[in-house]
Amino acid sequence: MPLLPTNFRIFLRETGEIARFTGRFFVEGLKPRYEFAEFIKQCFILGYKSLPLVGLTAFIIGLVLTMQLRPTMEYFGVEVQIPAMVGVAIFREIGPILTALIFAGKIGSSIGAELGSMKVTEQIDAMEVSGTNPFKFLVVTRTLAATLMLPILTILSDAIALTGCFLGENLYQSLTYNLFFRKVFLNLAYIDFIPAFIKTFFFGFAIAIVGCYKGYSTERGTEGVGRAANSSVVISSVLIFIIDLIAVQIANIFQ
Amino acid sequence: MKRTAIDSVKLGIFVLAGLVLLIFTLYTLGKNKNLFGSRIELRTHFKNVNGLLVGNRVRFSGIEVGNVRSIRILNDTIIEVLMNVDKEMKKFIRKDALAQLGTDGLIGNRLVSIIPQGGQASFIEGGELLASREELNTQEMLGTLYKTNENIAKISEELIQTVQMVNSSSELNKILNDGTLAANLSLSLKKLRETTESASLFAKNAVETLKLASEGEGTLAAVLTDTSLASDLRYAISDIRKLEGRADKLLCDLTDAVGSINKEVNEGKGIANSLLRDSIMTERLKNTLENVERGTASFAEDMEALKSNFLFRKYFRKKEKEKDK
Repeated sequence: MPLLPTNFRIFLRETGEIARFTGRFFVEGLKPRYEFAEFIKQCFILGYKSLPLVGLTAFIIGLVLTMQLRPTMEYFGVEVQIPAMVGVAIFREIGPILTALIFAGKIGSSIGAELGSMKVTEQIDAMEVSGTNPFKFLVVTRTLAATLMLPILTILSDAIALTGCFLGENLYQSLTYNLFFRKVFLNLAYIDFIPAFIKTFFFGFAIAIVGCYKGYSTERGTEGVGRAANSSVVISSVLIFIIDLIAVQIANIFQ
Repeated sequence: MKRTAIDSVKLGIFVLAGLVLLIFTLYTLGKNKNLFGSRIELRTHFKNVNGLLVGNRVRFSGIEVGNVRSIRILNDTIIEVLMNVDKEMKKFIRKDALAQLGTDGLIGNRLVSIIPQGGQASFIEGGELLASREELNTQEMLGTLYKTNENIAKISEELIQTVQMVNSSSELNKILNDGTLAANLSLSLKKLRETTESASLFAKNAVETLKLASEGEGTLAAVLTDTSLASDLRYAISDIRKLEGRADKLLCDLTDAVGSINKEVNEGKGIANSLLRDSIMTERLKNTLENVERGTASFAEDMEALKSNFLFRKYFRKKEKEKDK
């Protein structure tokens, strides 16, 4: 009879392996011979190509949030505070978390599937034979690109979501952009923006590292590729919320 | 593996847009907290800051000019509030301005208001201690309101009693229900109006008269302006007084006389009594008077006869001739 249930043992082993994988990323990533061209390419694919999807969701969530808040805010007679409230919600939570989730869905699965299929078709082994460090070339570039692109995507989606909020406000009343802008920023402080911005780096890193790990450790043929893509999205999404929880705790210390 | 075409320009625009937005957001947030631009420091003392926090806004005449930098306790009754204020405000805030605690809206954040006093004090230079004014305390306001409410309750109770008295009074009801009252009232008002009109006319005349008088015309003017008349008038009045004295004496004498006559009459003596009381004498007097009348008539006849007598005719003619001339 084993000491721990099998599932829990698997979970612990997985966690340990991801930790080792992360450690390997730092070791390999700091060593010279940087794959700069591949990094730029991954930035383009992960960052720029995700913008339409992220932008659309951000715009819709900004608009919907404004429209959904309105009845309640009107009930309390503070509908003038909708821009301020939506602004705080977007900057503090909705912008980073929504962007990260969409990013995880799009990027986590694609990294997992791409690396998984490369693994099962033995392309990674071939790369090693040809003298290229596959970890450096595949994992380090993707993880760095995701870590740096998600914050940029987040700030762009914040802006797009606020535009959606502005349009949502203008469905019910005429509000100039200048006044809307002032209303949003008057109630914001660095404490609202900076912790939320910093945590997006961790989101990006977690999404990419989980996707890379799942792809890199794919086994059992094409079936394994599907599982890798699926589990990388699930695990990275859960990790996003765990990181968010920790980030809020840390941010509250400074408040 | 499918190669994706990389457009570095698009990637560059994407990254730059993100960075610009990031810097813009950071700058805007910093500007809201007055982190950029030069500032000066102002101090003020409060007894109680009622939950003011570091970073709360400072307003000058309702315009946001800075924020609270620090709050520290000097002693058990004085709390010092240090404020960072935009340097531009040196041109506007005077040293006699008052600092007051307030709230942004009914339930908003605490803030410090700097209220200008409209004096001619010199402008601030930085580091000044502004005088403070205690804010309106909600508790005190409620206390006052409580007192007012009690008073209103008392007044309304008394009002109820008064109204009940009015309602139960038959006299007042009679007055209220009397339909003719209105007609009478309107008639009275009409009369009053007429009276007022005549009064105004009178006043107008009086004014005209006075005007004429002041212009020196008419009798009144003479009365009013002639000084010699006044002395004459004085003499006349003193004469009248003297006359009054005499008249008094006369009245006395007259009274005495009437008294004596009365006495005589009452006692049944003297001529007056006979005249008044004696009917026989009256009869006789009447007869006598009749005899005299008859005598006079006969005498007149005799005289006519005498005129036609030849002895005297000549004399009468002569007299008539002289009369004709």
